[in-house]
Amino acid sequence: MTGIRIALAGNPNVGKTTLFNALTGSRQHVGNWPGVTVEKKTGRITRNGHTVEVIDLPGTYSLTACSADEVVARDYILDEKPDVVVQVVDATNLERNLYLTTQLAELKTPIVIALNMADMAEAQGDPIDREKLSEFLEIPVVRTVGTRGDGLDALLDAAIREAETSPHHEHTVGYGSEAETMIATLTDALSADRDLAGRYPLRWLAVRLLEGDENVLSRLRKGPASARVEEILSRIDTDEYEALMADKRYEAISAVLPQVRKANPREMSPSDMVDRVVTDRYLGIPIFLALMWGAFELTFTVATPFMTTIDGGVAWLAELVAGSIEPAWLASLLGDGIIGGVGSVLIFLPNIFLLFLILAVLEDSGYLARAAFIMDRPLYALGLPGKSFVPMLVGFGCNVPAIMATRSIEGEKDRLLTILVNPFMSCSARLPVYILFAGVFFPEQAGSVVFFLYVLGIAVAIASAKLFRSTILPGEASPFIMEMPPYRIPTATTALLHMWTRGSMYVRKAGTIILTGVLVVWILASFPFGVEYGGAGSFAGMIGHAIEPLVAPLGFDWKVAVALIFGFIAKEIVVGSLGTLYGTGEETLPSALLADPGLSAATALALMVFVLLYTPCVAALGVIRKETGSWKWTGFSVAYGLVVAWLLAFAVGHAAGLFMGGI
Amino acid sequence: MGAVCPLALLAAGTEATIADVRAGRGMRLRLAGMGLCPDARVRVQCADRGSLIVSVGDARYALSRGIAMKILVMEAA
Amino acid sequence: MSDTAKLVFGAVLGALYLVIGLLQLLGAVVGPIPGLDTFYLTGNPFSGFVLLVVGTVFAVGARKLFAGSGEGAIFVSIGVLFSVAFGLVELLALLATGLDAYLIGEWAEWSAADAVNPLLYLAVLGAAGFLAWCRAFFRGPGTA
Repeated sequence: MTGIRIALAGNPNVGKTTLFNALTGSRQHVGNWPGVTVEKKTGRITRNGHTVEVIDLPGTYSLTACSADEVVARDYILDEKPDVVVQVVDATNLERNLYLTTQLAELKTPIVIALNMADMAEAQGDPIDREKLSEFLEIPVVRTVGTRGDGLDALLDAAIREAETSPHHEHTVGYGSEAETMIATLTDALSADRDLAGRYPLRWLAVRLLEGDENVLSRLRKGPASARVEEILSRIDTDEYEALMADKRYEAISAVLPQVRKANPREMSPSDMVDRVVTDRYLGIPIFLALMWGAFELTFTVATPFMTTIDGGVAWLAELVAGSIEPAWLASLLGDGIIGGVGSVLIFLPNIFLLFLILAVLEDSGYLARAAFIMDRPLYALGLPGKSFVPMLVGFGCNVPAIMATRSIEGEKDRLLTILVNPFMSCSARLPVYILFAGVFFPEQAGSVVFFLYVLGIAVAIASAKLFRSTILPGEASPFIMEMPPYRIPTATTALLHMWTRGSMYVRKAGTIILTGVLVVWILASFPFGVEYGGAGSFAGMIGHAIEPLVAPLGFDWKVAVALIFGFIAKEIVVGSLGTLYGTGEETLPSALLADPGLSAATALALMVFVLLYTPCVAALGVIRKETGSWKWTGFSVAYGLVVAWLLAFAVGHAAGLFMGGI
Repeated sequence: MGAVCPLALLAAGTEATIADVRAGRGMRLRLAGMGLCPDARVRVQCADRGSLIVSVGDARYALSRGIAMKILVMEAA
Repeated sequence: MSDTAKLVFGAVLGALYLVIGLLQLLGAVVGPIPGLDTFYLTGNPFSGFVLLVVGTVFAVGARKLFAGSGEGAIFVSIGVLFSVAFGLVELLALLATGLDAYLIGEWAEWSAADAVNPLLYLAVLGAAGFLAWCRAFFRGPGTA
């Protein structure tokens, strides 16, 4: 059994991840959104007696090491020296894809090309002559269709073969006599550094140095070759060479292209025609809003029967437990605590998964990229990058995958801004609170009240973005550059997989944090031993009374205060803990709330606003910490949320109180 | 042959050749990898007050006004 | 199907969607309007907005075709797509509420007729256009 390491490289949007999944059978995120694969993913296959490890490198257009993705990809190939690099090439986009090939060839690593999306190229009437291409590049080319699993075996075999045979000789680009002379001079100078020469291909080093690659330069600092190399470089203009060499690469590619394909790129494809409508100056945003309405409408209505079923199931289970388990405290723990608590989370599963499914379909079809482009203009005016758009949308389902989705945003400041503002997108977990209080205190206008809250969240997000931009995160949003993949009909499997990747984060959160949180609530409500469950004498009650003064101006009493604290763990728990504290089950909670003299319509409104805006839940904070890498910003998120929530709840509550009376 | 002007000013349906990219090194290299470098032929598919979608070969890219102003092109005859 | 057919289709559906959309919005703002029961208006301002959007897409397409621009054809085709898509949304919503009524035992009180709304019935017309034209259309974006 021999071990072989294959690195999967390629442009974004070429179906590399689909191919990776098909090869390794593992579950990954698939999307048209560039830059989504920043982490390295590995998988394992066995073939013909070989153990093959496959590493999925980030998608990059080139290997110039100007972005984190490129550095990761390049460093892996240079330093880890995989046995073979499989470049996944999009057959419908050959010209641009081959640019990366020219750079990979210079790395002197064994290469195999997977000519992916071959089915689409053929359907367009533009099949690529695989053999001719292979001949020109001096690299094996295998036809693959990642979505159907075609060509995978042949690909693996070719890769294994390349890994095992040597020497390799891929066709590399000639840069013209002037550049080649410089390259020869540099190669000569570099050969003085034996260590370097042993580790990296000299020609590649020379080419990169000529293009002014800082990363490569730093690798030879302090080495025996550095003095002479730096002297040579000081005499030339690397900007000029950089332009020249890019030119030469494309020239070489243009020489190859006509030999391997018949048709010229079409001037206006059907995708372009659709874009004319969808990105139209006046219709673009209305179309987007209409589609968003459709998405939310679908989510809420179609999810309802599922939610009803889950609700019924949970209630039945709770009754069963309550009736048949002894002793009473255990029944209470299981029934009220765990089943009730976790149940309140499970109920929202259909809602969230449906939203993510619809988003996945929109994303995989290619529409969401256009939507990001359309929204870039208004978002830019607010200081936000256009690419913050998808994370914001996802945030309406759950903030955890939303904040992770910010990885596709390039600028650090832009990313941070999006992360800080994201929690104001009202996630699904807050919905039960709205539904409960709006239903009880605003029975006629419940829908409008909930809508108002969502809009308020967006408004606060916008205002916060402007505030941060003018104070702590100054500057403009990065310019928007994004590839628009051709429209395609998403396959059910990829869409569902995509949905699951995001939705599973929510499920994991439910299984861990919420379960723990629910137990904590139960413990605090049940002890000291013998006390009335959730009464003033329990630990929960004591904490509530301690905090009461802080929230009294908002009209909240100690029960609400405690529920809010539990909401910090996970917003889904708020309703359940209120049920505990009022001593009622879910059925009678509404009437208990109505009966409470301390709660008025105005207070209810203030409470909903508070829940909308106050700190992100623990799970979201965990992700914020992970993605920003700093406790400072995580803490800021908490503090800012609390302050904004308190101020706005106060304002809204009192304003409402003036109209409706009582606070 | 026309004069050199920013890509942002072109209307939908126009073809042009890129003459220069007035941006920082990182951005220039990134654009080059995508196919947007001097001598490349581009076609404007959609345009709206400076933001546009251009095609380069078989690829399509959306560019905001900011970056489109930095790409100088020569309109095709 | 010819451009003239698309022009007529676009104009007719454009007018229908726009007018009914306006009525829907009016009903949302002002309250139920007597005498307009045939239109099954629901008073939902959002679906009124969506009706207007679809209508505009059709109307713009028809107008472009009338002015001789081939681009109008694509607007009409997209209009058809939207019409069918939103019709499907409403259909699914209808089925879901029906299913839910069954689950909570209120099946007897539920009636499909209550759920009929403009986006649903206008989509029937849109579907006709879809069947006529969109086979060729889908060959495009599905594979381009």
